[in-house]
Amino acid sequence: MTPNSFISPQPAYVPGEPVERHVADEELVWTEDEQQQIAAFRAQYPTHDGAVMKGLWLAQDKFGWLPPEVIQFVAETLEIPYAKVYGVATFYTQYFKEQKGQFVLDVCTCFSCQVCGGYDILHYLEDQLGITKGETTDGGLFTIQEAECLGACGSAPMLQVTNGPYVHNLTTEKVDALLADLRAGNMPGFQSVTLPQDEDELGGNRRSDTDAVTTYQTPPVSETLH
Amino acid sequence: MPQVFIDGQPYEFEEGGKLLQFCLDQGIEIPHFCYHPALSVPANCRQCQVKAGLPARDRATGELVTDENGLPVINYFPKPQTSCSLDLVDGMVVHTQYDSEEVAAIQADNLEMMLINHPLDCPICDQAGQCPLQNQAYKYGPEGSRFEFEKVHKPKRVQLGPNVVLDAERCINCTRCTRFTAEVTESHQLSIVNRGDKNYPMTAPGQILDDPYSMNVCDLCPVGALTEDYFRFKARVWEMSKTPSVSDFGAKGINVDYWVRDNQILRITPRANLDVNEYWMPDAARLVYERYNENRLQGARVNGAAVAWETAYDEAARVLKDADGSVLFLGSAWATVEDNYLLTKLADTVGGEVLGYIPYHEEGRGDGWLISDDRAPNAQGCERLGIRALDASLLQSKLAGASVLYVLDDDPVAAGVLSGADLEGVTVILHASHATNETLPHAAVAFPAAMCVETIGTYVNEAGRAQRLRPAKMIRSMNRSLMMAMGTGQSRIDRGGTPFDRWHDVTNKVDCLPGWTVIPELADRLGRPMHYKGPERVMDELAETNPAFTGATYPAMDLLGVALEDIGEPA
Repeated sequence: MTPNSFISPQPAYVPGEPVERHVADEELVWTEDEQQQIAAFRAQYPTHDGAVMKGLWLAQDKFGWLPPEVIQFVAETLEIPYAKVYGVATFYTQYFKEQKGQFVLDVCTCFSCQVCGGYDILHYLEDQLGITKGETTDGGLFTIQEAECLGACGSAPMLQVTNGPYVHNLTTEKVDALLADLRAGNMPGFQSVTLPQDEDELGGNRRSDTDAVTTYQTPPVSETLH
Repeated sequence: MPQVFIDGQPYEFEEGGKLLQFCLDQGIEIPHFCYHPALSVPANCRQCQVKAGLPARDRATGELVTDENGLPVINYFPKPQTSCSLDLVDGMVVHTQYDSEEVAAIQADNLEMMLINHPLDCPICDQAGQCPLQNQAYKYGPEGSRFEFEKVHKPKRVQLGPNVVLDAERCINCTRCTRFTAEVTESHQLSIVNRGDKNYPMTAPGQILDDPYSMNVCDLCPVGALTEDYFRFKARVWEMSKTPSVSDFGAKGINVDYWVRDNQILRITPRANLDVNEYWMPDAARLVYERYNENRLQGARVNGAAVAWETAYDEAARVLKDADGSVLFLGSAWATVEDNYLLTKLADTVGGEVLGYIPYHEEGRGDGWLISDDRAPNAQGCERLGIRALDASLLQSKLAGASVLYVLDDDPVAAGVLSGADLEGVTVILHASHATNETLPHAAVAFPAAMCVETIGTYVNEAGRAQRLRPAKMIRSMNRSLMMAMGTGQSRIDRGGTPFDRWHDVTNKVDCLPGWTVIPELADRLGRPMHYKGPERVMDELAETNPAFTGATYPAMDLLGVALEDIGEPA
């Protein structure tokens, strides 16, 4: 890259420029049932602001993703400022601001997964699907995303499928099996993973897929407290 | 009174305050970015952290616990506290960066972190020289950075709206701008978008920042992320002089700083006055800056021909002396109290009549906040001098028998109170600030008038607050009063100056004079000299003799003005 070839990134929506619409006005209506849910969200919090995340979540369930007109629709429904709702929507990667594939594979590459091979899994997935992170396969089946910590460091490396079930302790074989399952239309089920304090039940081995090693043993909680 | 110990010194405080504001009030500087006295306290920049604690008390007896030396034991909070959000408590012990190396190190680390993704493009940044980040990094920051990787790139040169440009890379996400639109103007046009090291303030998709007060976010911005479109790359702040004065945009009397380079007003920013405009001003009041620089009337004129000022004085005095019909005077809501007062005295001298001032009040023009219904700045000052809003039909009828019309700083033709045809057979003497003045072609004698940025004087705002104008830029013929007011006395250093000083460039000095120079010259020639050593003495006399101006001396008005006694509705 020569020094002059760098072009600053642009904001997703340049202020004042027309915004492409994806959802027609007549589709921007809540059903009776959804209206009741929103009323319940609002009743949960002292101010309407509190219901913003549940409102966006409901909208994403309904429309599949959150184009600007849907975000604005949520803002109007909850009577909170559009800019504020947009700010919340952009904060969380789980809200999709672009159209995604049917299955969104959020591969964690944060610290614990990284040291356990998170990037290997990410790159393997990219090779298998022929796309790079952030892209969607032709036909719209898979999207790969690189995610920050999803809070499952104990079973690193891991990924999440479309804001839903986690797939733990990933290996390339597990990835192949997952892709085959998803192509067949089978979402993985939710899997319970042991925590260190359950090690006794597992014979001192917190991982089910490798042999036990003494160096990884965690002393009982009672011994770590004074 | 409850006491707090800051760096070992006891201070008494009123309950209910926060530590940072208290320290700032005491003159103890603690670095901070997100805190602003007019906004909520989010404590998100983490820069104002201090070490704080309370004296330990025995749980059973409630007695203070002392150590072996008999000194009270202090239970410090386990982690440093953001002083902006810390409530003052009686007996609290605080260590700032002056007293504690630990705190100084914490603040330096915080600055190092803040600067990780800051572009450090100070040499081309408009904020340089007035940048809290630059100043505080210099004073409290680390000597260098340990971050040796490519910084995160974010959008630059984003036109957020008509008046504000965003450079997201410079943003430190203090959220002052979003809090301003959410809490002060309640337009809610800005929000922080994205997350982590990629976040920056932005409007909602497709929307723009067109709040009528949008440029206040540029003043609030502690870095160069938000800049005023009209002022971008115009001048470095250290090349400019900043003069505290009052805006002539409407009757609110907004306190402003005029920024001048080479005798041109390049920028107007609000000046804090909690009794008038707090910390804010509308965009429209800033964008008038070109009025002071362009289309100015230069040099005295008699019947349209440029003449020496002395000739114009002689001619005006002759006209006034030889008038065979009545002599009519118009005061001005654009001129200062001093000029209007001297005009009434001149009217007495020649036996003329001050008919009133031309009102610029338009119902519904204002927004109920800082944009007033009244376009002119000093209608209230005129009222207090007994000059009333002009009745156009009265003027028309009086003009029939008049031979001279003397107009102070105004444009009756453009204002629509009379037409050029009405002025047939009437000799007009006019003080006019602009060459575009529509009454100017009908004027027999025209005196170019100094505008509010060039004169010394007083405006009284619509709430009856008398506030001082200070000269921000030089005019062609500076006199001693103006020189003294600008702090450019007669010393050698002042005459030398630097190339950027306001008195350096002669080309932009407007050949005009304030009313308080011109009117006494006329009075001299009419044989009734006015013995004032400058406008300050005029105001002294008014403060003493006119109950409507009691207390409004220059020292009393100083920077924040004096609230005058209510005089009630005009009779």
